[in-house]
Amino acid sequence: MRLLLTAAFCLSLTPAFAGVEEVIEDHALPGTAAFAQAAAALDTAARADCTAPSLRPAYQKTFDAWLGIAHLSLGPLEEAGRGLTIGFWPDSRGMVGRTVAKLIADKDPAAQTPEGFAEVSVAGRGLFALERVLYDDALAGYAEGSYSCTLARAMTHDLAVLAREVDTEWREGFAQSLRSAGADGNTRFLSEREAVQALYTALSTGLEFIADQRLGRPMGTFDAPKPRVAEARRSGRSLRNVILSLEALRGLARSLSDAPIPQTEAAFAAALDKAEILDDPVFAGVADPVGRLRVEALQTLVSKISSAVAQEIAPALGVSVGFNATDGD
Amino acid sequence: MRFKTTTAIALISLAAAPVFAQSKTEVLGTYADIAQAGYADSLATAQTLQQAVDALIAEPSAEALQAARAAWLAARVPYQQTEVFRFGNAIVDDWEGKVNAWPLDEGLIDYVDASYGGVSDENALAALNVVANPVFTLGGEEVDAAQITPALLEGQLHEAGAIESNVATGYHAIEFLLWGQDLNGTDFGAGNRPWTDYATGADCTNDNCDRRGDYLKAATDLLVSDLVWMADQWAEGGAARQAVLEDETAGINAILTGMGSLSYGEQAGERMKLGVMLNDPEEEHDCFSDNTHNSHYYDGLGVRNVYLGEYLRVDGSVVSGPSLSDLVAAADATVDQDLRDRLNTTMVELAQIKTAAEAGFSYDMMLARGNAEGEALIMSAVDALVDQTRAIERAVTVLGTGALAFEGSDSLDDPNAVFE
Repeated sequence: MRLLLTAAFCLSLTPAFAGVEEVIEDHALPGTAAFAQAAAALDTAARADCTAPSLRPAYQKTFDAWLGIAHLSLGPLEEAGRGLTIGFWPDSRGMVGRTVAKLIADKDPAAQTPEGFAEVSVAGRGLFALERVLYDDALAGYAEGSYSCTLARAMTHDLAVLAREVDTEWREGFAQSLRSAGADGNTRFLSEREAVQALYTALSTGLEFIADQRLGRPMGTFDAPKPRVAEARRSGRSLRNVILSLEALRGLARSLSDAPIPQTEAAFAAALDKAEILDDPVFAGVADPVGRLRVEALQTLVSKISSAVAQEIAPALGVSVGFNATDGD
Repeated sequence: MRFKTTTAIALISLAAAPVFAQSKTEVLGTYADIAQAGYADSLATAQTLQQAVDALIAEPSAEALQAARAAWLAARVPYQQTEVFRFGNAIVDDWEGKVNAWPLDEGLIDYVDASYGGVSDENALAALNVVANPVFTLGGEEVDAAQITPALLEGQLHEAGAIESNVATGYHAIEFLLWGQDLNGTDFGAGNRPWTDYATGADCTNDNCDRRGDYLKAATDLLVSDLVWMADQWAEGGAARQAVLEDETAGINAILTGMGSLSYGEQAGERMKLGVMLNDPEEEHDCFSDNTHNSHYYDGLGVRNVYLGEYLRVDGSVVSGPSLSDLVAAADATVDQDLRDRLNTTMVELAQIKTAAEAGFSYDMMLARGNAEGEALIMSAVDALVDQTRAIERAVTVLGTGALAFEGSDSLDDPNAVFE
């Protein structure tokens, strides 16, 4: 009774939130489709030739595509821990290295079947486990017929399955859940505002993740920088990941907003300009004070995007940031 | 525009229902009273632990070690219920790392099994072993650890090298010194440190028993002094109490932020879901003692305590008063009822984990690869915590207190940063 009354008020008194449909059609679904396609191509490539040098180009393309949706931590990527499985990072306890080494040392039979491999720890699955197999000097020299070859095929196939599930679930389920926010029977989003807030939270959290994790972790402290923990440094992607994430988040911001967002656009442009001239692909530069300052300058610019978004987009949409998965310590 | 609509709905609710609205100040007073009682109980139970540790060191025996372990387990009951004060109260969050940091690279402190491995990408000090080394190098400088003191632990070892897993102090360092590593993987069983690790003379096992005792004593004394400090912060005139009372809106936000952040990012995500997905028994929150089921249960109870404005103390007495639930009910009774229902659902799910663990299906067994029953038990609780978080967000909306204050978010801490 009360619920109905509230819903009636929302429908009659507030304008429709146009951004949700744009996010679905222009941002999320193209992104999940591109990731599914790239992961399928990687799987196909591995079946033809499992060796590391031949798989690296398709791996890079898959990782590129992942960054188009990695920030959409609500819905299909949250369910069944898919996001965590595809991109298990940061890895503060060094689990990926240990887990992959143990799979290989044990010649773990879980890699023989897709069902078996789906039970493996997420530290042994996804893009970061595969990175070890393809780029770690101690592991990447394997030949056709070896256990590592079987493992590479298990990993790529598993990624393709996950990527297809994400795309299908978005297309056939979660998109509709967002669209029908506030309607009878929608228990996930009780109002349109909740759907908008969830997407806004993904934007805000994605920006924080770049500043605090992708940049902040290797920066460490001034006295103790930690270049070895830079994301995907083995595949040379640390800075590229920052750039592609910023571009994806800019796309989300544009889709989500009804009105022009000049402050946000300017802040994204400033950060992307800085990132593109940084010339420090795996943030190795944080080890010396000058290099660290340059990365810190980029971090500051990313934080300014967060401020711009909070100042410009949140009030226009009438939402605040919700709780997010990185609120823990 | 949007806010006006919300206000309109809120006004209608006020007119439609009989309202006994509590003042925000009264609600915040209850919140601070619960914090004060929770930290006082944590202190009292830590002092009992301190006596048990002193007894173990003075006269080592299997019984004395067992008594210290029992005291540690009892001390966790009130402390875990205070975790909800962490997020949203800067004074607690800044302090908490000394007391309850986790996970830890225990090789920093004492001997470990060969399977532990050594240094990693993340931590070059993961196998430092302070108990065995009276002198060592830290960040290029020689450290004199001939005397293991609270000052050494707190000042030089804790988070050494700015690495969070170098946990030298707090409950989990003490837990490791009482139980030792749990080498049972995802099979049944906790750490099994022999009491003779604290024995004198020829009975001493694993060497350096005196230094191990010194470490345990220093870490326990430090825990007690840290808890004395925090209990003071919540007493009348204390800084933490003043901080929540001086600005009503910020104070209400602190309660909600603590509830939501602990429920979702910390407990559902970091502590529970991650452990299942990694199949890693070290992802248990209380991994040495196999007390994780209780750790999760009392975390959940703490969230419920602050919403309902009621805390059951360790002596059986109850602290209660006007609650956030009353405030939310006055704004929207449906949202309040829904949140209370979800908090209760979470407690049932967490109790099922606790029940199973106490009956012999321990938390590390639940984490094993392919253990469908364990995964279902844990993930049901994760789902309940996620659902409860959505209800907390709805409470934020109906109270109209505005943006939640998140740690480390420049946009909220400093809204003008963008115009600099």
